[in-house]
Amino acid sequence: MDGDIEISIDKLPIKRLDAIEENGTERFPSDVDYDEKRLNLIRRIDFGWAVEREDRSKKRKSEGTTSANESTTTNQHTGQWQSLVENLQFAQQELSVIIDLINTVQANDAVTVAGMTRPKQLPNELLSDLAVSTATKLQCFWHLGKYFKQSAAALEKQVAREARFYGALIRLQQNWKVKRHRLVAAASGNAGFFIDLFYNTLYDTSVSLRPSSMSTIPIEHDAAGMLAVNVPPNSCRSLRFEFLGSHSANNVRRSGETNMHAFSEDSSTETNKEHANDDECVRKTHSLLREVHRAIFDEQVFELVSREACNSSLSVNLTGIQENYLRLSINQGASVSISLLLSSQDNKTDIVSGTNSSETETIPSELSDWSKFREGKDNVKKLGFPNRISFEIYLQQLFHEYVFVRAKDKTSSSFRSLISGQQSKDNLNILDHFCMSLAHSIFSNKVLSELESLVCRTPYVQLISHPTWHSRTSSWTLSMKVPQSILHVGSQILSSGISNVKNVRSQFWSKVVVIDESISVEGVGDLNVVGLFNGKPESICPINRYECDLADLPIILLQQVASQVIQWLHEEALTVGIKVTRDFLSLAFELDHGEIASLVAHVDPEDTRGCISWWLMMDDGITENHKLHPDLSIGESESRKFLGHLSLDVLYSTLLDFVNLCSC
Amino acid sequence: RLQNVEKRIVRVLELAGGVMDEMASQSGPRKELVNNHCSEFMQLIKDIQFALREEIKSACEYRPFEKCDYVPRISNEICYKKLEYVIAQLDEMKQTIEGYRNAA
Repeated sequence: MDGDIEISIDKLPIKRLDAIEENGTERFPSDVDYDEKRLNLIRRIDFGWAVEREDRSKKRKSEGTTSANESTTTNQHTGQWQSLVENLQFAQQELSVIIDLINTVQANDAVTVAGMTRPKQLPNELLSDLAVSTATKLQCFWHLGKYFKQSAAALEKQVAREARFYGALIRLQQNWKVKRHRLVAAASGNAGFFIDLFYNTLYDTSVSLRPSSMSTIPIEHDAAGMLAVNVPPNSCRSLRFEFLGSHSANNVRRSGETNMHAFSEDSSTETNKEHANDDECVRKTHSLLREVHRAIFDEQVFELVSREACNSSLSVNLTGIQENYLRLSINQGASVSISLLLSSQDNKTDIVSGTNSSETETIPSELSDWSKFREGKDNVKKLGFPNRISFEIYLQQLFHEYVFVRAKDKTSSSFRSLISGQQSKDNLNILDHFCMSLAHSIFSNKVLSELESLVCRTPYVQLISHPTWHSRTSSWTLSMKVPQSILHVGSQILSSGISNVKNVRSQFWSKVVVIDESISVEGVGDLNVVGLFNGKPESICPINRYECDLADLPIILLQQVASQVIQWLHEEALTVGIKVTRDFLSLAFELDHGEIASLVAHVDPEDTRGCISWWLMMDDGITENHKLHPDLSIGESESRKFLGHLSLDVLYSTLLDFVNLCSC
Repeated sequence: RLQNVEKRIVRVLELAGGVMDEMASQSGPRKELVNNHCSEFMQLIKDIQFALREEIKSACEYRPFEKCDYVPRISNEICYKKLEYVIAQLDEMKQTIEGYRNAA
């Protein structure tokens, strides 16, 4: 390349960017890069001619030196100068070429920038790129790692909370019906669980019970995320049955209230362990739900009772109605009230009626109250009122059994026969049955008190009560047993040679049965009139049975007992061998000289020292009348001697004394 | 059992977080640790899936409250009241006896 290459191109003063990184740093083409490029371009240029020139110049120089050896030294000088100039010229040419090259390179830059692709990156560039991206990735990872850990921790807490909640819910679900409202869930954000406490009986379409306002209880989260059930405090009511005129104090053990108190105290003391808290919580909720459930049942019972009371019924007279209160009068003048009371109200009635001590049922704490307590009991007995709690329970049970349980199996006949034993209708009126039971109970209490007073005063008679599993029947037995001592003596006498061995009856009884306010008495030992006339003492005394009222009951019973004693003595006498004759309440012994001594029983239920007293009457057959009608007002006379209240032993020994007096 | 599944899920998340941490550590992840974590992760996922499948298979149909025991529950309450009453009566009897004994 010999010619001058002259290109005139504008030099762009701007330094072009190579690339812009993501984080905004500009990367200019590095100098090294530029040099590299230049070197590459330069390498492309063939400097062979320069090398040739150098060679030629060297050859020339060598030729020049050889050819100019004989030339003059003047030529050498000029030759040296010439070569120097030439070299300079060559250098200048080269420089100009280089400058042109630079210019072209710059021009190339200016020209081809539009289509310039991203230059291939050098390894360290790659590495730095990689490093930066790796760094960012690492940071992302780290953030991600932190996020995962945070969410793991949060999820764990959430899981724990929900585990508590759902654990408690599952435990509740084992006992109660837990339901879920999907719509409410969306609205309140509370998962919408609630407990349904209502149970509708399928027994009768006419007796469909409305669900009370309390029957669905919402389950909420409390502060700690645990499940909480909130029931408004005074909404639980309980059934109460009372006798009017006797404000009986409430029983000390009212389970619902005491439990409530216990809870309000417990909630103030916090326990540290969560487990214990959870259990406590669930237990409290259980008790609360039980309370509400019971309250709902009581309300249902009250509603049923009021419905039945308003219908026409046999023995129930509705005398008063208020909002939660019914008053009924039972036929014998007693009046009862059935009411629904809030549990707090119960306490108030306690305080008011606490002063009324005659019918108190609370357990006396000191013995100084003892006499008052007994007096109270006696009063209650006289009024004949049974324990009101028992009837409250009975009412609840009747309704429960009838309405709810019977609905399940319609073929339960036992209960039906229980109620309708005395009614032939199919319509079972529970309230009727209840009231009749109540009336019966009052009446039988009176009967019992009479019997007890009788038996208290007659030492050899015992009162045995028989439980009948029917609420309108009661029965007792007055039994008289011959004491063992007499039996021994008797057997000794027997074994000493009396021929006729006869089994003497050693136990006599009279039975009192009360069915629905009618008393029937039956017993051994009544007089068999026919047998008397026949003169057969061994005639079997039939068991007679007849009805009486309360007023006549004592006398009849006493007469029966006395006649039983007489009969026993009669039989004993016959065994021993005395000649006796028996009358209604007297036993006549034939004595040696034709005299007749008779032992007469006198019954007097009002006698406080004993009901059966004995008289000994001696007569010689003249004064017959007196034998039959002993009269206390006459007092003792020669023919009559008052023996007093004798026990069976004494009577028997008297009998044996007669043995000596008799001629046999 | 479902609670175990939940715990496993939590553990899986923790593991994922651990792996991420490892990857993000300056000196480069330790291979065996990452391997352990990953294998545990996969194992847990498998367990979770298995348990859930079992639960879903064994979950029975939704039978609403066929064993509702509200009625016997009320009988229970009534019996409880009866017991209370009887206990009160017995206590009274005991008091009576003691009264007689002390008076005699």
